[in-house]
Amino acid sequence: MNKAMKWFDDRLPIFSFLDKQLANKPAPKNLNYMWSFGSLAGVCLMLQIITGVFLAMHYKADVNLAFDSIQHISRDVTWGWLIRNMHMVGASFFFIVVYVHIFRGLYYGSYKAPREVLWWMGILILFLMMATAFIGYVLPWGQMSYWGATVITNLLSVVPVVGKSIVVWLWGGYNVGDPTLNRFFALHYLLPFIICAVVFLHLWALWTSKSNNPKGIDLKKQTDWIPFHPYYTIKDIFSLGVFLIPFTFMVFYLPDYLGHTDNYIPADPMKTPPHIVPEWYFLPFYAILRAIPHKLLGVIAMVSSIAIMFVLPWLDSSKVRSANYRPIFRQMFWLFLINVFVLGWVGANPPEGQFVVIGRVCTVLYFLFFLSLPLVSKYEKTKPLPTSL
Amino acid sequence: MKKILTALTLSVLAATAAQASEGHIELKKSDWSFTGPRAHWDTMQILRGYEVATQVCISCHSFKYFSHRNLTTAGFTEDQAKALAGKMDMDVNQKLLSGLTAEDSKETYGLVVPDLSVMAKARHGGPDYIYSILTGYEEAPAGVDVGNGNYNKYFPGHVIAMPAPLSDGQVTYSDGTEATLEQMAHDVATFIAFISEPERVERQQMGVYVLIYLVIFTALAYVLKCAIWRDIKKKS
Ligand code: HEC
Ligand code: HEM
Repeated sequence: MNKAMKWFDDRLPIFSFLDKQLANKPAPKNLNYMWSFGSLAGVCLMLQIITGVFLAMHYKADVNLAFDSIQHISRDVTWGWLIRNMHMVGASFFFIVVYVHIFRGLYYGSYKAPREVLWWMGILILFLMMATAFIGYVLPWGQMSYWGATVITNLLSVVPVVGKSIVVWLWGGYNVGDPTLNRFFALHYLLPFIICAVVFLHLWALWTSKSNNPKGIDLKKQTDWIPFHPYYTIKDIFSLGVFLIPFTFMVFYLPDYLGHTDNYIPADPMKTPPHIVPEWYFLPFYAILRAIPHKLLGVIAMVSSIAIMFVLPWLDSSKVRSANYRPIFRQMFWLFLINVFVLGWVGANPPEGQFVVIGRVCTVLYFLFFLSLPLVSKYEKTKPLPTSL
Repeated sequence: MKKILTALTLSVLAATAAQASEGHIELKKSDWSFTGPRAHWDTMQILRGYEVATQVCISCHSFKYFSHRNLTTAGFTEDQAKALAGKMDMDVNQKLLSGLTAEDSKETYGLVVPDLSVMAKARHGGPDYIYSILTGYEEAPAGVDVGNGNYNKYFPGHVIAMPAPLSDGQVTYSDGTEATLEQMAHDVATFIAFISEPERVERQQMGVYVLIYLVIFTALAYVLKCAIWRDIKKKS
């Protein structure tokens, strides 16, 4: 540290903080590429905030102007099309990264002691991200924006007694309209910064309990650890490159591929689109919602499908973390992953015929994964664990 | 690893199945100047498409995100854009709007005729869809009642309120091209693709350079990563 930096650091120890928590932070030496997805998620969050702030400079939160203002951004604003495509594709890639990040945690048992609170903060971020993305999708005020918002906000009306009042309060009127769009824009600007705050707590918990590793064992030997910098900084930079290639490809060649063409039709409250489908990243949960014929129970199931992960550390009592040493859990994990994909496929299709049946079976399997863990973790015969790397 | 692959394959299958069940009517596929590695705007074709749009479609459809100035993006000079606008008694910055009001449209067609200036992004298939619709008018099969509408092979539900807008020789092209139905449909679909995404060609051309840059960046990062990790790998 040079003199000026030291002078500053004595008064506000940012540099020593960064040095201790990032550069010289000991990290297990055997982390694989699955451990790159955390830093990638951070990059995605920054990318969304930066592109979002520039979009917000030209966007107009008014039902008569919103659609036009998006066209204005794509056509007339310098680099506007690039910024908008990055924000749109960025939202999808953010979810891809976060889903991989979560499944990584699931596979290697990263939710277990002493990382329960770290895991909680992650689930909280997922909820906040979903809210942000859902609200953001309303802003362009296309047909899917409007009808998606109508269908999803209406779900709250199932809350007993006060449901209807909550929905009216949320809309600021008796249907999704101008007041709704205005407040959604305010919230869409606010939530990412709340996400940043929770991300900080997530990292704080990480610095306290340290990274898990692919073997899932507690590392006691000094030689099992290496400093984060330069080893993991360069590894994460390489991973960022690998991530940016498909991302860039989508931004420049298929910017609308992951979206829905109906959202280029201006919102029309008098005309319901034939299929109302949410963005792809909500599809598995949408399938769970529709699998249950009772509206209130459907909503409860949908929320529980994520909320159940809050208690996962106590459902799974096995002391062994990594699925590599848990033959039964490992099989269950892969079946669970496939099941989530099938749910996504069901969610993309109209709730008719075979899809109803498949959707229900998969919903049961989804919850069965979690609910069978107490038994599995009790009776599973795990493989012997190594004592160091 | 094998399991990861199985999971990925399954997900791809699921995704394609989802796509397949969504697209029902097979559209006519055409060659477009603005797709593929040689993507460009064909100025003459856009001019012809513009002529179809302003001689035919404009009587019912607006193009509210289009002004003549936008033509400069497709390779027209400022003066050419001004001259074309002048021929229509318009300013270069003025929006191209139809004279048909929403009320009249509702009365005649039972709906407000959609604006065409983002149409290529607002339908599955984009330009292929527009081309198919314009060339897809047929005699309604026996037993199908089209009411006040018209039968179109490619329109979802087949009954469309738009009467067949184009027939051979409908417009006189300034460059002397023969105005067949196919020709006009292809030209106007190109024009609509252009005004839906004027940045499209620039975007596709730029993408190559960004991707090349990223591949080099990633390769260098990989080499550096291997160099930095060499001592760790050796020890273990
Ligand atoms: C006589 C009036 C009229 C003219 C001229 C006309 N259209 Fe239309 N167009 C309509 C109406 C009405 C609809 C609404 C059809 C519906 O939804 O049933 C429509 C719809 C469309 C659609 C959307 C179909 C869909 O999927 O909803 C396209 C694309 C289209 N027109 C293209 C054109 C083009 C290109 C031209 C010029 C070559 C043109 N139209 C000329 C009346 C017209
Ligand atoms: C957690 C991070 C974020 C996520 C997941 C997210 C997601 C989304 C999504 C899915 C859309 C709809 C895209 C479309 O169809 O056009 C959207 C639009 C938008 N977002 Fe965000 N966003 C995030 C952060 C931000 C931030 C920080 C801002 C501004 C400060 C912002 C501003 C906007 C604006 C103005 C739009 C409308 C413009 C458009 O639709 O292109 N976003 N966002």
